[in-house]
Formats: sequence, C-alpha cells, structure tokens
Amino acid sequence: MLLLAIVAITTLAANSARQLRYTAVAFFAVALAAHLIDDGTLAAAQVLVSAAAALVASAILFVAARDRRFGEDPGWRLWIATIVAAATTAAAFAFLRPQTGDEINTNLLGPDPSGVTTDVAAFWLLSSGIAILLTARGAVRGSLGALLMLTGTQLLVQQVPGPHLALTLLLSWLQVVVALAGAFLIVNQRAAREA
Amino acid sequence: MIEVVALLGVAALVAFGVRKRLAVVGTVTLAALAAAIAIVVLMPMDASGDVLELPWHMSELARLAAVVLLGTLCLLVLAVWVDEPAYNFFPTALVVAAVVLAVLVLTTPIAIYGALLLGLLIPVGSFTFQVHRNRSAEAAYRHFSFVALGGCLGLSALALSASLGRDQPPSTFVLLVVILVVAFALKLAAIPFHTHAALLASEVPASALALYFGVLVPTTFIAFAQILVLSGLLPAIVSIGKVQDLLLALGITSALGGAFLATGSTELRRVAVYSVIANLGQALVGIATLSGPGIIGAMAIALVTGMAATQQLLAAGTLERRAGVGRPSATNAPLAALAFVVGGFAMIGAPPLVAFPGHFFVELIAYSYSAWMGTALVIATLGVLVAQLRAAMAIFRTAPDRWRVERKPIAGIVGGLVFAALLIGGVQPDGFLQPIAAFADQFLRALHPL
Repeated sequence: MLLLAIVAITTLAANSARQLRYTAVAFFAVALAAHLIDDGTLAAAQVLVSAAAALVASAILFVAARDRRFGEDPGWRLWIATIVAAATTAAAFAFLRPQTGDEINTNLLGPDPSGVTTDVAAFWLLSSGIAILLTARGAVRGSLGALLMLTGTQLLVQQVPGPHLALTLLLSWLQVVVALAGAFLIVNQRAAREA
Repeated sequence: MIEVVALLGVAALVAFGVRKRLAVVGTVTLAALAAAIAIVVLMPMDASGDVLELPWHMSELARLAAVVLLGTLCLLVLAVWVDEPAYNFFPTALVVAAVVLAVLVLTTPIAIYGALLLGLLIPVGSFTFQVHRNRSAEAAYRHFSFVALGGCLGLSALALSASLGRDQPPSTFVLLVVILVVAFALKLAAIPFHTHAALLASEVPASALALYFGVLVPTTFIAFAQILVLSGLLPAIVSIGKVQDLLLALGITSALGGAFLATGSTELRRVAVYSVIANLGQALVGIATLSGPGIIGAMAIALVTGMAATQQLLAAGTLERRAGVGRPSATNAPLAALAFVVGGFAMIGAPPLVAFPGHFFVELIAYSYSAWMGTALVIATLGVLVAQLRAAMAIFRTAPDRWRVERKPIAGIVGGLVFAALLIGGVQPDGFLQPIAAFADQFLRALHPL
C-alpha cells in the first residue's frame, strides 16, 4: 500500500511539473515504485530490466529538455487529468477486477498476493496517462502520458501467466522507443516553435 | 527465425552508422532485405521454435505476408535510394522489416501486439522533415499519440483478458473486446479514428507515407486477425452479437466514409490514403462476417491494398516533386502518372488483378449477410472508382506535344513491378489465396473450439 501511495503522489508530481526535467525525474520515481509492488510473483531479473528501462526513458526525456526551464505548464489540465484518473480508476477496478470471491487483505509494507495493489496502480497509471495524453497540447505532456500508460500496461502484463522475462524485455524496449520518439518530437516541436 | 530478425536488427545499426553514405547504406539495406526474403522462402513450412520461451511458428500466411511485405519494403528502399534520398529511411525500413517478421511469426498475442507497437512508433523519425516550413512535426505527434493511446489500451485489454478466468461475467469480456477493437481502429485509421491519417497524408514525405500505409497498416490488420485467433476471444465475440455489430459498423463507416472522402479529395496522396481506408473498411466487414470467404477476402484486400498504396503514394510523391509549385501532371513524369493510374485498378479490385478475388468474396458474403450491407460495399467501391478516375483525369488533363520518359523513372518502374506481381497473382490466384485459406481455417476452428 505504501508503494501505491508513492505511485499516486509521484504521478501527481509528474503531472503538475512545469519543467520537463522535473517531469522526467518524477516519472522515474513513478516507474520504480510501480515495478517494486510485490504481488507474490516479483522476480529480481524483471525488476532490474524494468527499472533500467525506466531510468533510460527518464534520462532521454531529461536530455531532450536541454535546459532547466523548458517544459509545458499543465494549468487546468492538471485538475481535469487528476479527477478523470481518480474516477476512471474506481470504475475500471469495479468492472475489470477478477471476481474470485476471495477476501481481500492488504498491508502497509509487505507483499500483496491478492494483486489488488498492482491492479489499482495499473488502472491509476493507465487512466492518468489517458487523461494527460488526451489533454496534452504538445509532445512534452504527450510523452509523459504515453510513458505512464505503458507503465500501467506493464503491471497488467506482469500478471499474465507465460514467458514473463521475454514480455518484460519487449515492453522495456517499447518504453525506451516511446521515450526516444517522444524526445524526438519534443526537440522538433521546439525547433518549429522557436523558428 | 531469431537469426533473421537479428540480421535485420544488426543491418539497421550498420545502416544508421553509414546513413549519409547513400551507396553503402542503400546496398546494405537491400542486401539485408533480400537475404531475409530468401531465408523466409527457404525455411521449411511449419518451422517453429521459441526465443526466451516465446514461441514462434512459420505458417503459410506468415510466409506469404512476409514475402509480400518485405518485397514492398525492397521496392520502397530502391525508390528512396534512387529518387528521394532520406537518410533516416534506411535504418527505419530495416527495423520495420524485423518487426513485420516478428509480428507474423510470433504466436503469443501480447508479444505480437508489443512488436507491432514498436513497428508503428519507429517511423516517427521518418515523418518529420523541414519542420519550419510544414506541419510534419504535428502530424508525427498526432500519429505518436494515436499509437500510444490505442497501443496501451489494446495491450491492457489483452493482458486483462488473459489473466481473468473464463468464469467472469460476459459484460467484462464484452468491454475488453470492445476496447481491443477500438484500439485497432485507432491504429488502422478507421473512420471516425482517422484524423491523424488525414494530417499525415498532406504533411509527411511520400516515402514515409508509403512505408506506413503500404507496409505497417497491412501488418496491423494481419496482427488484428491473428490476435483474435490466438487470444481465445473469438468464442466470446460469437456468443455476444454486439461486438460483431460494432466491427460491422466500423467497417461500413470506414468503407463508405473513406470512399466519400476520396471522392472529394483533390490531392493525389489523399486520394490514395482515403482509398486505403475505404478498402480496410471492406476488409473489416469481411472479418466481422466471421465466415471463410469473408476472412479470405479481408486478408487478401489488406495485402493487395498495401502494395497498391505503395505504388500510388510513390507515384504521387514523384508527380508532386516534378511539378514543383504547379499541379501534378503527366507531362512532367508520364511513367509515374501511369503507375498512379494502374495502382487505381488494384485499389478498386478490378480483374484480372489479384485484387479482384478479395473484393469479390467480401462483397458477395456481405450480400448474403444482408442486402443493404452488400449494397453499401458496392457503393463504397464505386466511390473509390470515381475518386481514382477524377485523379487520373486531373493528372492527364494536359498533354505535351511529345511524350518523353522522365529522368530517374523509379516510381514508374516500381509501379510496373507491382502491377506485374498483381497480374501474375491474378492469373494464378491459388498461390496467393491458398495460404490465406489455411489461415481462414484456423480462424474458423478458433471460432468454434469444440
């Protein structure tokens, strides 16, 4: 539960940041906390691969900023994104959570084998990402939205039985490519705006 | 198979390193693509294996689609090398080739989807050029947003459906399948999710546009069909008619809307792009009928439309470049103009090209499904025909005193090669339709697992 709280707070920090470099650092915190949530199937190799990809993605965005002040002011979009994300998370959890009939037990620090924490974190990241992406004016917040959505997706894919390491590697590559494409667009949009 | 994907990946890295030495990068790219095609053709049918526990299988459809799509990529690379040097295009084409192969041979739905997303994001680098003078950066950003949104939604829906037990309420599966269908509609630029395609059509280089509509869009369609088969969601679609209705509605809207927009377009690229959207709408209807002829027709339309789109978009790019600030005209590049016009035959599914059976099957099965649906598809085809005729008349409006073949007639040569391939396929349709029929069998078995 503590990690879930960290995911929520750092997502809000990334969402509200006016400078791309702060956004990049906050995204790394989001991704790290999300990948450390233990649903009983956590493997060190997967955490390492996912954390490395998150670090690379954050570094790419950090470098793309080029200076400390560059970014996009979220303005009213911050509140819209937060309200929509909160409402959608609750709705998604109600509709899409497996109906196992088991009693849900969560604790503050230990692992959560019921998977509730992972599901809530995934739905929160997905809905925050969608809200940010849909209200973004340019590639700065667009990239953040895409990366948050992808992190949420990674959490859901973790719960699928099958070749975990291969899928983790694939999605980690995807995360790096999303960050690269996002950074490329940020640099190009900035060049077009400053011309 | 991993060796072929690795070969293409290494070649992409080499191509990126030497991308400004055109002769070297062109040779490396074409050699790697040719080697990949040769290995795929020589590989025994039904070869299989696994990579990091991810299983792969070379099916008949995978082999056919790999040859068609990698062949199309070869033609595109040749055109860019000779006529429109764009340094980033070569490594991009190689990565796309690797991704296309992975999508075609992997058998895990989530892995197919993940690989597809990689392929759809890679061309972002080829979409932007001279950002101070046009809106290519905005077009590329809109494409990025649509792919990220549709991609993550679709992947999440797939992951949830795979992790949920089959004893969940039907409404849960309906919701997940609807999300998956909408996610693919976003990536296929199906109407009403086509706004990014409209901007791409007018702002990005013709070669990058051909890479997207000629190679990646057909790959996306094949991935959609494969994922439906492999994810085990088909029985849920059959038992709940609403999803089938959604697919039919999307297909008919795209077919009619694409044809309508193509008819009203004055730009050659837009005519080609909206014709692709109209044809993909027909293909979606084919899949939605959940019948053998419908599935065969849908896959055939997707593959042939990709080839025709490549032919038309390269020709449109050449005609625009040669015309400068004036209107594209056959007087500047007669072979490219001819290539555009014959590409139109494939777009409308005219016999004797191999484009004909696909359209015929889908329209026939649509009529047997309901008369108004069949009529809608015939109207859509007529709309595309009118759009192609208008475009052809606009290109050939003025005739020079003496026809002279343009310098570097690569678009015309590519058009001729594509036309010859479609003609040979039309004369010998079994070679093209047999592998697709094998996939349709697999699709129908997945539909009724017992």
